[in-house]
Amino acid sequence: MNGEHKQRYREKYTNAKQKGVKFFPDIIYKDLLVAFGLFILLIGLAVFVGVPNEPKADPNDTSYIPRPEWYFLFLFQLLKYFPGQIEWIGTAVIPGLAVLALFLLPFIDRNPYRHWSKRKLALGIMGTVVVGIVVLTLLAAFTTPPQPEAAVANTLREQIALGEELYALHCVECHGIEGEGGEIKGVPGLEGVTLKPINDQDVMYPFTDETLYNIIAMGQPLQGMPPFGRAFGGPLSPTEIEAIVAFMRYTWDDRVELPEEETVAAAMPTLKEGEVPSYDVHVAPIFKRYCVSCHVPGKKNNNYLMRTYEEVMTTGDHAPNIIPGDLGSNLIRMVHREEIEAGGPMPPTKALKPELVEILERWVLGGAPETAEQAAQASAKGAPLPTAAAPTEMP
Amino acid sequence: MLRRLFQWLDERLGLTTIHDVVLDRKVPKVNWWFTLGSASLFLFLLQGITGVFLTVYYVPSPDHAYDSVQYIMNEVRFGWLIRGMHHWGANLMVLVVFIHMLRTFFYAAYKYPRELTWISGVVLLLATLGMGFTGYLLPWNQRAYWATTVGTEIPGTIPIIGPFITSVLRGGSELSALTLSRFYSVHIWFLPAVITVTIGLHLYLVIRLGISHIPDEND
Ligand code: HEC
Ligand code: HEC
Ligand code: HEM
Repeated sequence: MNGEHKQRYREKYTNAKQKGVKFFPDIIYKDLLVAFGLFILLIGLAVFVGVPNEPKADPNDTSYIPRPEWYFLFLFQLLKYFPGQIEWIGTAVIPGLAVLALFLLPFIDRNPYRHWSKRKLALGIMGTVVVGIVVLTLLAAFTTPPQPEAAVANTLREQIALGEELYALHCVECHGIEGEGGEIKGVPGLEGVTLKPINDQDVMYPFTDETLYNIIAMGQPLQGMPPFGRAFGGPLSPTEIEAIVAFMRYTWDDRVELPEEETVAAAMPTLKEGEVPSYDVHVAPIFKRYCVSCHVPGKKNNNYLMRTYEEVMTTGDHAPNIIPGDLGSNLIRMVHREEIEAGGPMPPTKALKPELVEILERWVLGGAPETAEQAAQASAKGAPLPTAAAPTEMP
Repeated sequence: MLRRLFQWLDERLGLTTIHDVVLDRKVPKVNWWFTLGSASLFLFLLQGITGVFLTVYYVPSPDHAYDSVQYIMNEVRFGWLIRGMHHWGANLMVLVVFIHMLRTFFYAAYKYPRELTWISGVVLLLATLGMGFTGYLLPWNQRAYWATTVGTEIPGTIPIIGPFITSVLRGGSELSALTLSRFYSVHIWFLPAVITVTIGLHLYLVIRLGISHIPDEND
């Protein structure tokens, strides 16, 4: 830009300033308004969207699909076009040149004009770059496969519930539902071995959370306990093992107590006189805790799967195992520890608590409703008496 | 009485001069896009405030970082709000700073006499991105860990000096406690200091040179 241009610009600018406004209050007012708007937006995002919870870092989980912040996605995508030997063009040369060009822009662009109609080249280049960045970002966002969902717990109660579920899935077959130990049935290699309980003071007092964590992660291969940590070839992530430890600690260690609100919330919802329980609220937690460990695919269970309402109602070699309204259903007779054609007492090792058996009975009698609303409708009609029970339509 | 106090202070601090130079100056008529610079400043200050609160409970070690963030989210009163605002504020700041850059580009505000304003702006843009990169690792969750693993691998592909850069970033060959403490210190000390000083220069230039006018067809 030569002296003449500079001179002209200065005059023009002084002129524009004279016709302009005062910084205070005109400009400040707009600035504050925008700042306030952003502040409200941020509070809204924090309250209504929040920060997604993620599991703890697990250096051994190489299956995790890395995902940079969204504003680095375009770089990430760019690199894909420079594989192997020429990778450094994408990682160093292009970004390096781009940053350099940005720094030197005032000296590269020597065009003295300022109105957009006289700067079509500069605007064209910048426009292309911005469109390129947006396109690369979108490409990256749509081509990165979704992350398999990982279990995360937000609160202590959720953590314990998750731990309970995982315990039921992985540990019950050897250590028993309540960690009571006893003789192992149906586990290849350990058939008939008797385990000490792990739910008493002998285990809970001397073992810290860290020791428990390590036992579960590394197993005790010499005694027959397999490793569960992913670092040792097992199926569980650190977050999941921590959840199991929390479950064990808060359930079996008589020295620790849940904060009061947690205990109330964790308790099974109580049933009023004449209220019909529903699968979602009352029955699923019982099955999850006491039955699912064996009643999943790949275990000996007469092909009776119990993970969802659908499965509970329809699967099994002697299906249906639940006939709504009929207390003679296989499942009810078996939890009463009868020996019938479909099999022996369920669960095989230890009887269900009578309160839980009662919930199952009231559920079957009430027509085995799935959701809380269906249960409420059934309650409104009045729960049928055992004598009046006759098979009704499936809900 | 108040008047006397003000005069006493003014004589020593030059309040009237500051008022005249900073607040009472004339500026050309501009539009709403010109608020984005001060919006960036606002977001930076807000990040500073929420960030300071987060450091009260955050522990930068691989053993405790994740749990301390869980603690902030679940136990600390309004911890979730502070973290949420810091999280979204970071995203919004990148966006706002970038659009601010596009607006100064579009109105050719980088030309004479505002070249240095632009250059200091580029430093601010890079430092803001650096804040995002270093802050992303701090929660020490899966997303953080793997994104940073990949992110620090990238400079490693540069011939000859690449592996050296990666090992400086990581403080070793793998992500470790050293990486976390390095990122933490860069995130809360080094980059904020760079940004603060550069914003000082940036704003000094903006006030000294005045905000540019919107170019018309003859410009
Ligand atoms: C395949 C059977 C098996 C499974 C499944 C299993 N364990 Fe074990 N576990 C064992 C055996 C065998 C021992 C050694 C028992 C002993 O020393 O009395 C053991 C020991 C333990 C001990 C230490 C007990 C002590 O007194 O030293 C703990 C704690 C434990 N298991 C927890 C778990 C948890 C939690 C799970 C579920 C993630 C689990 N186990 C799954 C078989 C199993
Ligand atoms: C330790 C593993 C184990 C647990 C825990 C368990 N079951 Fe079973 N279940 C079996 C096996 C094995 C069979 C196959 C019959 C047999 O061998 O007795 C079976 C069969 C059944 C059947 C008959 C399925 C058919 O169609 O033939 C029903 C119903 C049943 N179980 C219900 C339950 C219920 C309800 C619970 C929880 C309260 C439960 N089971 C817990 C192992 C288990
Ligand atoms: C933390 C980041 C930043 C802050 C806090 C900031 C702040 C500001 C403020 C308050 C202004 C006054 C005018 C306006 O609001 O538009 C301004 C102007 C300016 N900024 Fe920034 N800025 C930042 C980043 C950038 C970046 C990334 C660039 C470009 C690379 C840039 C280039 C400029 C230029 C050239 C001006 C003069 C505009 C004119 O006079 O019309 N700034 N900045």
